[in-house]
Amino acid sequence: MMNMASPEMLHCLSTSGNVAGNGTDMTVLERQRVRMKWQQEQFQQQQQQQSYFGGSEFSMFSMGGQVGQAQQFHGLINGDSAALGDLLGRAVKADPGLENVWPEFGKLTMPGTGFNVENAGFECSGILNCSGFEMNHTTSRTSSCPLAAAEAKVRESVLPEKIASAVGRESFKKRKADTVQSPKVVAEEETKDKRIKGCAEDGESKITVANNNNNKNSTTTTTTTATTTTTTNNNNGETSADTSKENSKVSEVQKPDYIHVRARRGQATDSHSLAERVRREKISERMKYLQDLVPGCNKITGKAGMLDEIINYVQSLQRQVEFLSMKLAAVNPRLDFNVDNFLAKEVFPACAANFPTIGMSSEMTNPSYLHYNPIQQVATCGVEMGINPADIGLRRSISAPVSIPDTFLDSCFTQIQPSSTWDADLQNLYGAEFHQGRLMSFPSQAAFTGPIDASNLKMEM
Amino acid sequence: MRPPTSLKKEFLKKWIMGLQLCSSSKKEMSFLERKKAIKLSADVAMASARNATTRWSRALISNASKDDSNKGLVECILGPESESLKRASMSLVLCNKRNRSKKISRKSCSIRRARKSSSQMVMASSIAKRLVKKRTQVLKSLVPGGGSMSEFSLIEETLDYILSLRAQVDVMRHLANVTELLNRK
Repeated sequence: MMNMASPEMLHCLSTSGNVAGNGTDMTVLERQRVRMKWQQEQFQQQQQQQSYFGGSEFSMFSMGGQVGQAQQFHGLINGDSAALGDLLGRAVKADPGLENVWPEFGKLTMPGTGFNVENAGFECSGILNCSGFEMNHTTSRTSSCPLAAAEAKVRESVLPEKIASAVGRESFKKRKADTVQSPKVVAEEETKDKRIKGCAEDGESKITVANNNNNKNSTTTTTTTATTTTTTNNNNGETSADTSKENSKVSEVQKPDYIHVRARRGQATDSHSLAERVRREKISERMKYLQDLVPGCNKITGKAGMLDEIINYVQSLQRQVEFLSMKLAAVNPRLDFNVDNFLAKEVFPACAANFPTIGMSSEMTNPSYLHYNPIQQVATCGVEMGINPADIGLRRSISAPVSIPDTFLDSCFTQIQPSSTWDADLQNLYGAEFHQGRLMSFPSQAAFTGPIDASNLKMEM
Repeated sequence: MRPPTSLKKEFLKKWIMGLQLCSSSKKEMSFLERKKAIKLSADVAMASARNATTRWSRALISNASKDDSNKGLVECILGPESESLKRASMSLVLCNKRNRSKKISRKSCSIRRARKSSSQMVMASSIAKRLVKKRTQVLKSLVPGGGSMSEFSLIEETLDYILSLRAQVDVMRHLANVTELLNRK
């Protein structure tokens, strides 16, 4: 009974489980499926085969190597029904001669998987019958068909990704040769990643019909993500290209006095989409700057999410201004700030070195200050004026451009990224300087001479 | 981009100027009045530190100078360039009106167009677009003078505005700390 069942089961498993190469490697789910199919077939034939029960069972029993099969069967059963163990126990009891062979079954601990007792009963009887070898073979084959189909699906969905990635890599190289704009390397790489995904989508849709719905869902999800991200310019271009079926490799737009744009491979080349692409790239560049400015924006890639963060940040800054103005109003009953100017120099002595500006004498840049707070001072010093040679070594610790001509300072802030990061760094440093709580601890320097004129503010911060 | 330290210095200078003007003009001011004066002078000083190179600064100045009571303060803070700045901000206001009327007519047209598309893919992307649009609108309301900017210029203005706000907050915070310390002494 069991013994007969097991080679059959294994055979069935092996026919359907060709993928794994070994019946035991099949997943529990697949084994369950197999058994389910089997039961259904066996139920129809059980009556006919019951009669043969007694005869051939012992012939099967005499076949060697039962224990190993039993263990394999064991594994099968563990994954399957809960009631099966009882049934097996019952079956074993019904044939006491077999008890020796299956001692383990009595000790089986069955995980409950919600199998009907009836089902298990049918199943057991199906297993127990012996003469239906060929029947079982056929049923096993038929039962294995859906399984095989499922297996095929699983495998085939894995394959197109590999194919597509290979295709993507090829087009990768081709695109690298095509594209001209070098400063946008980062953007290109990101767009290439998206392209690979797009290729994968195409590959999948070509192969299996059964997966059509799944594919459509995946494409929709990817396109939605594409539209929300700012760096998926290519993907949008791709979808438009698919509809328009334009395969121009490189097309140069010749517009006098206009920005020359090259369309990437497989993209639409009409002026509208090109202009749109340029616009989108500009916006994504700006968003990158904003990402550096707004803290905590590094992980967010979607445009909407980024805008949300920016809004929150601007709101919080505005609220801070309100709050601080209230605080100042509360602290200053008379709104007089003359006294501050005078005393602030004592409180902010370190700042003196930072502001070598109008009328500032060189005594201010006291080297002792530099020692105390080298980096921040150096940074701010370097920002303002020429470079003090002593500061250069210190400044190198910051990732900021070393020499900053004044013209650069005045230039439009639509500069390359380093400027914005540099500003951010300086802001941080500047802020950090004060948060150190050195206001109290720093000894007051009496080196401040000169008139303290309200209009000619030498307020150093 | 202008370095933050010079920005802060300029801002502080102008702000203190404005504050002194306020304090000299009125002897007794209520808490709220004081707070308003502080904030106003801070904002105007911030905007003038940009010398009307950015739209938000111009819009801020124009908004501030709309109120007659603030005009004097604004003029003082702005200093010699006030006249040209005012003219620039006035033109900005006119531009806003023109753009607004354009947008209203555009909106009415686009609503008719939007009903056509109904497939699943377009739905998802349209949802995303709507989200982004909503947020840009909110951002426009936050940044002064943002109502008449294109998306791209809005982002640029926000960049600058954030930097200025940060500088403003820093300076104000330090001043507040200093006055607190002084008061304790």
